[in-house]
Amino acid sequence: MASTPRRAAILGGNRIPFARQNGAYAQASNQDMLTATLDGLAARFGLAGEHVDEVVAGAVLKHSRDFNLTREAVLGSALVPTTAAYDLQQACGTGLEATILVANKIALRQLDAGIAGGVDSSSDAPIALDEGFRQTLLAANRAKTPAARARALARFRPRQLLPSIPQNLEPRTGLSMGDHMAITTARWAITREAQDELAAASHHNLAAAYDRGFLDDLVTPYLGLTRDANLRPGTSLDKLAMLKPVFGRGEGATMTAGNSTPLTDGASAVLLASEDWAAAHGLAPLAFFVDGQDAAVDYVSGDEGLLMAPVYAVPRLLARQGLTLQDFDYYEIHEAFASTVLVTLKAWEDTEFCATRLGLDAPLGSIDRARLNVNGSSLAAGHPFAATGGRIVASLAKMLHERGPGSRGLISICAAGGQGVVAILEGA
Amino acid sequence: MPVTTLTSAPSLARVLARAVLTAYGRTGTTLPDRSLRLESLRIDRAHLLAYQRLCAFAVGDVLPHTYPHVLGFPLQASVMSDRAFPMALPGLVHIANTITVHRRLTADDAVDITVGARDLRPHASGRAVDLVTEVEVAGERVWEGRSTYLSRGPAHPDAVEEAAAPPLPAGDPVAVLRVPNDLGRRYAAVSGDVNPIHLHPLTARAMGFPRAIAHGMWTGARTMAAVSNRSGDASTSRIWFRKPVLLPSSVEITRAAVGDTLVAGMRSRRRPHLEHLVLTLG
Repeated sequence: MASTPRRAAILGGNRIPFARQNGAYAQASNQDMLTATLDGLAARFGLAGEHVDEVVAGAVLKHSRDFNLTREAVLGSALVPTTAAYDLQQACGTGLEATILVANKIALRQLDAGIAGGVDSSSDAPIALDEGFRQTLLAANRAKTPAARARALARFRPRQLLPSIPQNLEPRTGLSMGDHMAITTARWAITREAQDELAAASHHNLAAAYDRGFLDDLVTPYLGLTRDANLRPGTSLDKLAMLKPVFGRGEGATMTAGNSTPLTDGASAVLLASEDWAAAHGLAPLAFFVDGQDAAVDYVSGDEGLLMAPVYAVPRLLARQGLTLQDFDYYEIHEAFASTVLVTLKAWEDTEFCATRLGLDAPLGSIDRARLNVNGSSLAAGHPFAATGGRIVASLAKMLHERGPGSRGLISICAAGGQGVVAILEGA
Repeated sequence: MPVTTLTSAPSLARVLARAVLTAYGRTGTTLPDRSLRLESLRIDRAHLLAYQRLCAFAVGDVLPHTYPHVLGFPLQASVMSDRAFPMALPGLVHIANTITVHRRLTADDAVDITVGARDLRPHASGRAVDLVTEVEVAGERVWEGRSTYLSRGPAHPDAVEEAAAPPLPAGDPVAVLRVPNDLGRRYAAVSGDVNPIHLHPLTARAMGFPRAIAHGMWTGARTMAAVSNRSGDASTSRIWFRKPVLLPSSVEITRAAVGDTLVAGMRSRRRPHLEHLVLTLG
């Protein structure tokens, strides 16, 4: 049996520009956006009519009718209809988790080529029936006699006509993600100025990346958008300083709409393959997938902050790979909030935290901030939950390719439910 | 043929009203010697999205194969309501349609559209005429469509034989579609074709149909969307319209491949021998 693992190569990616909620993609469904993204990828890499083994993608905000979202998108795309597909969902970790899965299958020779992706619409969101109304309808459906059905339906109350709209709340704590992050931000004493600086850098870096054409082969225009609608090239510390805090309470509140990611719509996809498949199709690898790691924290009891899981995942990954935190050319730390990034970095520098929480003899230490999110991240681009992983993987793979063989990049993505996904890529 | 360039799309309501009011006494044997042209038409994305949704094409920036037909329809109606046009618009039957997409068109293309009437000819069931729509982008011909309309009348001894359709593909359907009651009104809202035969059972009955009928170009576009994801790329289609789809009803799509050409059909679900259209795409 040919069972020796092999390297999975990242050949490139495609995404549509991310739109602000109720903006250019207000009427586009997840399936529309994912289909357009796959078509763009197929056009860029000549995949129309070619066989790709699997497409793995998902969405966080998902309609029940979209149970087979990725397969339906494949069937509507230029990919051959014999392309297998399935959905995967791990909140904001979806896109990166899908990448890990496809890379692992390639490494294990279960696939030669696959596409990992994600999509989310905060505009075309599913709206559910009021829970009481739903229970009433189900009871009426179960009733065996007309009288029992009438009794069941009599429990209906007009206020139950109000629909239940999805909210960005943790079901177990009733707190929004921003409220959770505000607790962690205060605990780590992250200043407003530091958050605003990171946010401004994200916008300036992404704008510069667009200006020098870095995104030309990563983004395909869609529905009239050619750049991320959230991008503010002209933002400044002064402008950001004027915004009022939206998360946290009182004097100590530091998190604003400027240093938190807005709700956005968008989709992304990444093409991965074995080196043989890439060579046979005349495609050059940009990077190789090295390793990935998940972690989760107990945020429910308040023991740890909701978005702290990547802080725990990274040292495990480094230990397994025999690397230190300083062994990277680029760091891609998803900017759920500016303070998420800053807390993550501060925790890795904290001797006591690293000893008591991460069980390390010495702290992971500092990173060279000039290598962090160098082409911008979610604060500027926006964050359509499941689409962020694919955006980062494709962009980092290209950066590593430009940097040269053997260069290394670290990806860290926090996710709802107290989870985190991290991964290492190596330049090809 | 001289061309009149319009400064804005003609109001369809006014054009259609003129066509109805001047329907009688059109007995000419020649076509009006002028084409109508609209320049630098910008694609309205909201309109494009509504069309893509209604016909089940992918929602995106690529113009569906059949979309420019809708863009050119106000000009078609305008040409046909011209007093010099020899047939009455009410009662004209769209019997066939040919489209060639020379290159993929996107919502960013500013299009010039020219429509003219051609080839008035005797037909086995009356007289036929072609309305030819040409779409250019920056002087390059990118799309053309030929819509054949029949004005029913006595068979003419010199009737030219029209291009024959391949047989409707037999066998199991590849898709079963429900065509809802309000489809005519919805497509009228998008296409501007407010012919009363599509709008309501009562207005349709006044025109001699038992119920409202679906627009032919919707049935053609919907069939195309059901059998191909790639029709927005360079390709040629031909549609032969048969019996209208009465609203509401269920229809079946069948398909077959003949060489590089795709043949598709739409037939009645309840009465499979009742054929609505045959389409080829290649």
